Amino acid sequence: MKRRDFLKHTALGAAGISMLGMPFSAEAARDGIKLTILHTNDQHSRIDPFPDDGRKYGGMGGMARRATLIKSIRQQEPNVLLLDSGDIWQGTPYFNFFEGELEYKLMTQMGYDAATLGNHDFDIGLEGLQKQLPLAGFPFLTANYDFSNTILKGRFQPYKVFEKQGVRIGVFGLGIELDGLVSKNMYGETLYLDPVEKAREMVQVLWEQEKCHLVVCLSHLGYSYDNEKIDDRKLATQVSGIDLILGGHTHTFMDKPEVLRHENGHETMINQVGWSGLFLGRIDVTFSRKSKRRTDTRTAVLAVDNPVLTS
Amino acid sequence: MKRPYLKYISGLVLALSLVACQRPLQPSANLEETDVAVNQTIAADPAVEALVAPYRKEVTVKMSEVVGTAPVALGKGDYESPLGNFVVDLQLAQSEPIYGKPIDLSITTEGGLRVPLPQGNITTGHIFELMPFENEMVVLTLSGKAVQQLFDDAAARKIIYIGNATYTVANGKAQDIKIKGQPFDPNKSYTLLTSDYLAGGGDKLDMLKNPLKYEKLGLLLRDAIHQQIQQLTAAGKQVTAPAGKRVTVIP
Repeated sequence: MKRRDFLKHTALGAAGISMLGMPFSAEAARDGIKLTILHTNDQHSRIDPFPDDGRKYGGMGGMARRATLIKSIRQQEPNVLLLDSGDIWQGTPYFNFFEGELEYKLMTQMGYDAATLGNHDFDIGLEGLQKQLPLAGFPFLTANYDFSNTILKGRFQPYKVFEKQGVRIGVFGLGIELDGLVSKNMYGETLYLDPVEKAREMVQVLWEQEKCHLVVCLSHLGYSYDNEKIDDRKLATQVSGIDLILGGHTHTFMDKPEVLRHENGHETMINQVGWSGLFLGRIDVTFSRKSKRRTDTRTAVLAVDNPVLTS
Repeated sequence: MKRPYLKYISGLVLALSLVACQRPLQPSANLEETDVAVNQTIAADPAVEALVAPYRKEVTVKMSEVVGTAPVALGKGDYESPLGNFVVDLQLAQSEPIYGKPIDLSITTEGGLRVPLPQGNITTGHIFELMPFENEMVVLTLSGKAVQQLFDDAAARKIIYIGNATYTVANGKAQDIKIKGQPFDPNKSYTLLTSDYLAGGGDKLDMLKNPLKYEKLGLLLRDAIHQQIQQLTAAGKQVTAPAGKRVTVIP
């Protein structure tokens, strides 16, 4: 694929070594802790592959194949996170007939670690969501929907911290404005809060309180709009401190992940993998301890540093 | 930040870590393969297949479920058609109870209805073929000017099916427009029921794009069709085109 020739390596988060033309040595990779982030967005109830009838992407996708792929990656990689950026539901008769139960069951079976809510995840209303949530063996993370005045009060967390070999990964979720996109009788008294403000709050909490080493945003805002509407690119520009935005909503097939750089040197990478599970997104991140000799001081460094806020 | 350990780090890394943020663990992404194709080369996972199998079977069964019957096929045509009139009328029948008040007009287009409804048994699968998209019903409030443009467009392009109205086409122009039996008043605003797809400019219906008001009903067009046919069957009725001529074309 084109994208592979383009950007073989890049740094996440800060201006990195590899960005400046010094690729990882095999040794560094061996010494570092490797995290493999796998992600999907806008699955749209696509359980079975697209019919192979000459349409674009015909014959591609399918959750049973994705499961095989994920299993084989888990066998090869020590630390895997499997994430989804929303719109799990709507698009095939499986959803119309079973109201999302199969989608949640399959994602649970595949071992999803977290997801966020897309607009179509409100398509059977808050009652429908409430009914199916017990089938989801993974949390839905949402920092900017307030369910306090609904039957789903207390059912969602804004973020979750995953720990892999001492590396702390903070993941939070952001949803799109529902008004005009979802009928009011479906989302009821769910409040949409400013995603930029909430993201800044999350960044603060995840870096300073939770001492995370990587901050990931599951976003259903959409990749890019020509108008004023908030999107992943605007979010990346307006909020410093997010390392990775895994996007959705706009069904964008990206040639390569986009990296946006802040004045202070912090970089935010954005990726999105189209829709319908035709592709599985994959970002491998290696956490370098910089030198072997520092391994034993690592704990101390972790404890003392305020990891993110840039210098 | 503790400084002493920095001396162990090579000069280059040190310089970088000072210009950038100072993290104890520096993340660095490898982007050699960031989208893995899920394609035919990957075998299906047996556990997933086993979980899906009964659902898939039920989908197949449900798609072949007979919802109603039609004595003759309902097809498409210019200006108005058995299928078009059936759909715009059922849109009103299914939406008005949700909206809570009468709606002035209802429209769909020739291209929006993918296939005719066949003679004989109508299955859920047929309804999915007729309306495969997740189009949702919306109520637009339009200015008289926009409504005039809509009728002009309907007269010129022949692909717009309109419910609750009659008009005459002369020289490609709409004349003698009546809405719910009343003459059209260009100084009034009207409510119009359609799908979110058409309301968003689908089929180049630009006059719908900036309505005075836009209200979603939370009802899918496909579900509206399904419910209508179910209700007809429950009432012992067949699926037939509504009676009456709506568009008179003066050659």
